[in-house]
Amino acid sequence: MAQLNYRTINIDVLDPDASINFPMDTLLPATLPAATTSSAAAAVAGEVRQLLRGGDPAAALRHVLATAPLGGDERAKEVHLAAVTEVLQGIRQAEVSRVLEEVCAGADGGAERADCLMKYLYKGMASPVAGGAQSPRKSVSPQSTGFSQIQGRNLGEGGGGQQMSVLLSWHEKLVELVGTGSIVRVMTDRRTV
Amino acid sequence: MGDDCSTSLRPYLQCVRSSLSAALAISNFASQTSERHNVPEIEAASSPELLLNPLVISRNSDERTFIEPSVNSVRVSLKVKQADEIEHILVHKFARFLTQRADAFLILRRKPVEGYDISFLITNFHTEAMLKHKIVDFVIEFMEEVDKEISEMKLFLNARARFVAESFLTPFD
Amino acid sequence: MLLLDYHNVLIHSLLTERFSGSTPVSIDQIVSDFDGVTFHLSTPESKTKILISIQVKCFRELVQYGAQQVLEREYGPYIVDPEPGYDFSVLIDLENLPAEQEAKDDLITRLALMKRNAMAAPFERAFDEFAKLSEEASRYTTESAPQGVKEGGEVMAIHYREEEAIYIKASHDRVTVIFSTVFREETDRIFGKVFLQEFVDARRRVLTLQNAPQVLFRNDPPLELAGVPGLQNVNDGTLSYVTFVLFPRHLTPHRRYENISHIQIFRDYFHYHIKASKAYIHTRMRKRTADFLQVLNRARPENEERERKTASGRTFRVQG
Repeated sequence: MAQLNYRTINIDVLDPDASINFPMDTLLPATLPAATTSSAAAAVAGEVRQLLRGGDPAAALRHVLATAPLGGDERAKEVHLAAVTEVLQGIRQAEVSRVLEEVCAGADGGAERADCLMKYLYKGMASPVAGGAQSPRKSVSPQSTGFSQIQGRNLGEGGGGQQMSVLLSWHEKLVELVGTGSIVRVMTDRRTV
Repeated sequence: MGDDCSTSLRPYLQCVRSSLSAALAISNFASQTSERHNVPEIEAASSPELLLNPLVISRNSDERTFIEPSVNSVRVSLKVKQADEIEHILVHKFARFLTQRADAFLILRRKPVEGYDISFLITNFHTEAMLKHKIVDFVIEFMEEVDKEISEMKLFLNARARFVAESFLTPFD
Repeated sequence: MLLLDYHNVLIHSLLTERFSGSTPVSIDQIVSDFDGVTFHLSTPESKTKILISIQVKCFRELVQYGAQQVLEREYGPYIVDPEPGYDFSVLIDLENLPAEQEAKDDLITRLALMKRNAMAAPFERAFDEFAKLSEEASRYTTESAPQGVKEGGEVMAIHYREEEAIYIKASHDRVTVIFSTVFREETDRIFGKVFLQEFVDARRRVLTLQNAPQVLFRNDPPLELAGVPGLQNVNDGTLSYVTFVLFPRHLTPHRRYENISHIQIFRDYFHYHIKASKAYIHTRMRKRTADFLQVLNRARPENEERERKTASGRTFRVQG
């Protein structure tokens, strides 16, 4: 400890009144739903899958967004994200606009659901892609194939291109419907999904 | 570049565009930690309540945009696609070339955020002096052009190498 | 300029001027060439006697492979004792030149090719050795050939630069020339790889190059070099070995002069084009950066109207 360089210590961290120690809990509303667990999230995922299989994608989306674990732990959020992604991927491209209008435009909390969906779209893009996310760096191998050195850059999609393009197209449609305000609320809302 | 790529590129850029437009809602905010200072809060990171939730927009695992908003500044970081060693070195060279001229670019950050190739730092002073939607236009055009430029440089390099090799080997016969 | 010249342009132009009969002047000039070769052109005794000296890093090795004989053949009557600090010198008397213009031009060209000729010795020896071995081999079937004929001659190493060398080995059906080359920088290494890959592929891809020498490259010493002393086996990718396999058709007497000259400039040619590509890419980036700046400047609102009119319609400038 004799060699500890006191100049490099950020003393603000040690001061409970410093701004860096701002109590972030106070930014959360008191009406936050009770904490859920990953098993509860898994149960929701099951229900949602049933709805989806029953041919009612709008209901599935409505349900999965209504049960977002805003107060849950990380694990529960992960499980729920998987459920949302599944729903989004389960809805056909042609139906997206219709489903969105049904779920997010209604007066009964449609805007809430739109914001929630927006949160999930960003969370989906931020999370590492499932299934071989880190594609190993391909290098130009010496003396292998020949002939093929010259090629465009954009022939092969990187890992997860498929999943991302689903999210991106949902994002575009959602912004068209509810505007950029929803994105602002994603950034400012401390109730993360 | 085929049609296939432009169809997947467009929603990506569109998403960056709308996200960035939303994130650029920033205003003047004097530092609350040191008096008479006015710093980009996203860089100072001295008050957690002033930093907003960061957004990630990915096209795939190789191409990403990272937007870190705060009350008076936004940091935008780009990860450019690098499929092989050549693209990696070209992106690296280009990024370094640009950051060395960061002074002229005003909003270019001199060092990219960890894990990204190039970063922009946009503060409220920039949005006050410049047209906000044009700044967004710039970032989008930058993303498009960097990609194109890297492709072209790579094609040039391969074509030149091919020509040079053939020219050297021809006189032997 | 795609291919590099074999001769030294500076020496060539200087001698052309001197030989043209202009008034003799005193000369004292150091001329550099590729691979750290230095020439010294001077007139130590009188203005009409030009002394040309060459200094080559690997001259001792070259002499070992017969450089002295090659140089004597090329410059026989002009050779003098080497100037101190140099490896080989010739003295040209301007008052004692060949009479015909053609012979004069020939002498100029030969003198400008001094580096090429000094470096040619091991190649010539390898080509001769190939001729001998192939003749011997023709007397045996593949199985019964004695060890020496099958394996070929020994590897001749010429350390012509710091850390870089040329290795030459003759066999009964080919002459193998291996360049080892170092890339100090990451960019050079990757650019070099792209170029070398094209050298390797060119022969397979282009029909008219079917008869060109075969080119191979790798980062560890090739098998031909097994047992050659002084090889560093640092496998960090900075060192590349480029192998040229010259086939009998390249080794015929009437092709050999050209081909020896040509293969000698490989390294310089290769590195020259890497540098040129880097320079080109640099200008491209400069251009693109200027374009980006223009786009960014569009974000600035137009400067406000500086010119105002008074009520009576007269204009005046606002003092900035």
